[in-house]
Amino acid sequence: MSNSLMPRSAFLRGAAAIMPLSLATAPWGLLAGSMAIEANLTPLQGQGLSSIVFAGAAQLVAIGMLKGGAGVFSILLTTLLLTSQHLLYGMHMRPTLSPLKARWRMSLGFLLTDEFFALVSQYDRQTFNRWYALGVGLTFYIIWNVFTFAGIVLGKSIPGLDQLGLEFSIAATFIALITPVVRDVPTIVCVAVSLLCSVWLSYLHWESAVVVSGVLGMSAGFACKRLGVGQR
Amino acid sequence: MIFVMIFGMGLIVFLNRYLFIEPRLPVRLNRGAREFLGFAVPGMLTAICGPIIFLADHKLNLSVSNPYLLAGVSAVALMFWTRSVLITVLLSMALFYLFRWLL
Repeated sequence: MSNSLMPRSAFLRGAAAIMPLSLATAPWGLLAGSMAIEANLTPLQGQGLSSIVFAGAAQLVAIGMLKGGAGVFSILLTTLLLTSQHLLYGMHMRPTLSPLKARWRMSLGFLLTDEFFALVSQYDRQTFNRWYALGVGLTFYIIWNVFTFAGIVLGKSIPGLDQLGLEFSIAATFIALITPVVRDVPTIVCVAVSLLCSVWLSYLHWESAVVVSGVLGMSAGFACKRLGVGQR
Repeated sequence: MIFVMIFGMGLIVFLNRYLFIEPRLPVRLNRGAREFLGFAVPGMLTAICGPIIFLADHKLNLSVSNPYLLAGVSAVALMFWTRSVLITVLLSMALFYLFRWLL
């Protein structure tokens, strides 16, 4: 990705790059909309979740908790735990995003999802293009909201959407993004530890399973690298 | 009350995302921190995939005939072979449904 690309073509490249992931998560957008209606939220509230919160996992869990009669405070605390991996994404992207103007920083910060991070984090200060990043983030935001809207309109008429195994598309995309990065022993250790912990902690119903296992995996990889494991 | 919750959630998620992008936050990332964050892509994305593959429908499935596992392993092989994210995702999705239908 060259820094010198024209804004329009960089934006379009970003939009094209996020397309597969947008479609992979589309069923979840549908589900976020239809579940909101099913939980007796108004259409405006359902759309508000997707347009203001814009965090799939947190939305679905919050709706589930509302249905179960949970209070606002416990929902907010769960949101904090569920989305805390974004702190790490922000830290990782600090060198490229923090020198930008406030309106760019805030917009790209708002759009910083798992999927955005998966695509944009590979660029450094020289190769980063803010228009490309905006293309990725904004396209994902619009598609997520369009599918939420479709879910709201279809409402309860999507039976068994969560049993179709559509979440595999997210795993497939992330696996395709992880595979080329795994080139040395420390990264293999990182992936192995993260995988084991995420399954184990999710099985124990830890709400912060993703961030805790991610950090444990990263620490294991980092420790291996510092100890010189796998180096000749 | 629902809107209070929605705005509250929105604020929390935004703060999580924005905090470390803010230049006035006095954090300087040294070489160690950068090296650690270099593991963010494999570490975090794997942590999202793990439960999808082994805990479908909130049930632990460690068997070799788990269609998520078989298709996930196929995705790794496809990525090595094709080097294309799109082909890998599409073919491994097809394999996933094939495995689910067969097993």
